[in-house]
Amino acid sequence: MIIAEHLTRRFGDRVAVENLSLEIAEGEVFGFLGPNGAGKTTTVRMLAGLLAPTAGRAIVAGVDVCAEPQRVRLLVGILTEHPGLYEKLSAWHNLKFYGDLYNLPNPEAQIEKYLNLLGLWERRFEPVGTFSKGMKQKLAIARALLHEPKVLFLDEPTSGLDPESAKTVRDFIAQLASEKRTIFLCTHNLYEAEQLCTRIGLIKQRLIKVGSPQQLKRELYGRQIVIDLKEPISLSEDLQLPFVRNVQANGTRLLIQLDDPEAQNPVLIKRLVELGAQIQFVREHDRSLEEVYLELISEEKP
Amino acid sequence: MTLKRVRVLMMKEWREAFKGGKTIWIGTVAVPFILLGVSLFQLFQFGDFDRVNPEELSRVVGALFLVPLLYFLMFPLVIPHSIAIYAIMSEKEQKSLEPLLATPLRTEELFVGKALASILPAVGITWMAFALFVGVVWFLLPPMVLEVAWQQFGAIWLMALGLFAPLAAAFMTFASMTIATRVSDLRTAQLLSSFAMLPVLLSAFFLVFQHLLGRPMLLGLLALGIFVLDLGLVWLNVKLFGREEILTRWR
Ligand SMILES: Nc1ncnc2c1ncn2[C@@H]1O[C@H](COP(=O)(O)OP(=O)(O)OP(=O)(O)O)[C@@H](O)[C@H]1O
Ligand SMILES: [Mg+2]
Repeated sequence: MIIAEHLTRRFGDRVAVENLSLEIAEGEVFGFLGPNGAGKTTTVRMLAGLLAPTAGRAIVAGVDVCAEPQRVRLLVGILTEHPGLYEKLSAWHNLKFYGDLYNLPNPEAQIEKYLNLLGLWERRFEPVGTFSKGMKQKLAIARALLHEPKVLFLDEPTSGLDPESAKTVRDFIAQLASEKRTIFLCTHNLYEAEQLCTRIGLIKQRLIKVGSPQQLKRELYGRQIVIDLKEPISLSEDLQLPFVRNVQANGTRLLIQLDDPEAQNPVLIKRLVELGAQIQFVREHDRSLEEVYLELISEEKP
Repeated sequence: MTLKRVRVLMMKEWREAFKGGKTIWIGTVAVPFILLGVSLFQLFQFGDFDRVNPEELSRVVGALFLVPLLYFLMFPLVIPHSIAIYAIMSEKEQKSLEPLLATPLRTEELFVGKALASILPAVGITWMAFALFVGVVWFLLPPMVLEVAWQQFGAIWLMALGLFAPLAAAFMTFASMTIATRVSDLRTAQLLSSFAMLPVLLSAFFLVFQHLLGRPMLLGLLALGIFVLDLGLVWLNVKLFGREEILTRWR
């Protein structure tokens, strides 16, 4: 659905995005993470046919972004960083204006559908200036969806929302994903990325890493098992298991790094029991994506 | 360019501008019609036109119809001043340009839609004010008043309303839009656009006071000069209304 090849964008001397190559399949929810100024918004603008790349090319929804930006704009929807609604117009007139720009055959039905889905129907005739931030964000999402785009770009959809509104928006995104839409999601919220995204790309001018949240974690840390014991044991004598890469003992807790816990755990546990360990719990240590993110971003020198 | 999108944008501009508060109403509708009302009032104040002799009538009509003529020259310049600036500044303030540019709307449609949203009311209101003025005079004053007025003002009215009004409205619209794209606050934009308006307004007034009644073609020449300015401003705006330019350099 989205193919980017060596996409680069400069503003004068400043390089905003450098040599970005990506491929995103239909129905994927692709999370785009990176610090402020990393080039996320610039990338979205290039992929949505708003800004021309300085170099490289991109195909979105089967259309070349450089050659036919107008057609790309027809096929994609975008939630921009700022909602950019007309505050003096009602929710309904805001959407009607956009529906007419897309020349929808039946804009009223689409407006009704999305205002209902996002819980704004009752307030459709009120000026948007009287809406809360969360309501504005929802209205902007409705606006991005009116023409039923196949590809949806969401630039920080939950930034500045309270936890409850953020959850509503997130649930809505999950629902959109289940409708086989391709979603490109820029966010600073790592929990959100982990919850929603099939794959994640880390960017800081250049694309640092791409992978599923699980892959990213494993690649960086390997897999780690946490074993809780009833009483501390001394592991002075080696475990004598070749596959154990690293053991940290911390009172009654053991942290053990393994490559393939599914196969290796039974052997490991048997050996521990032989050594007199009284095992209470065994589980895999789940690192937060935040740790991964901070590690990768700090490794990357600007 | 599709007319539908231009029309949709134009309707949006009007809905937004006229919901935007009283200032637009006052600047575009209330002030013109109040000024015109005052002139009409003065006409009626004069009293009985039937009693003055023809020479006297010609002098009186020449004096009483002069101020409304100035208004018909002024309205097409003053009305775009508020609408055109608003059309650009409000998009910038609300940061609504980016989502707008993400639609299939072309930048030339954006320019034409915004420009027409200001030129059409400016010309329309000027013409309506003129029609109202002539209508009232025709219905309520003795017929010879309009006859005498037509002899003196007919040619200049045609020139002012047919030629000067649309070209001047276009000039003021393009100038205000150019300024509004470059400037980041409303007051500066209004001030600069007033500076752009003054020379045109003063030249028109000067011509009226000095020569015009005898030589309406001079106003035509002024209109021609404005037309050249219009072309220059369109050329400038074509550059300012690039998608790239709007997204990265309009502040
Ligand atoms: N119009 C512009 N003119 C000049 N530089 C720009 C422009 N737009 C973006 N940049 C620069 O490009 C870089 C990337 O900006 P971008 O907005 O894409 O970052 P981002 O990842 O979206 O950041 P954030 O998380 O803060 O939204 C920044 O250094 C920014 O200053
Ligand atoms: Mg951004």
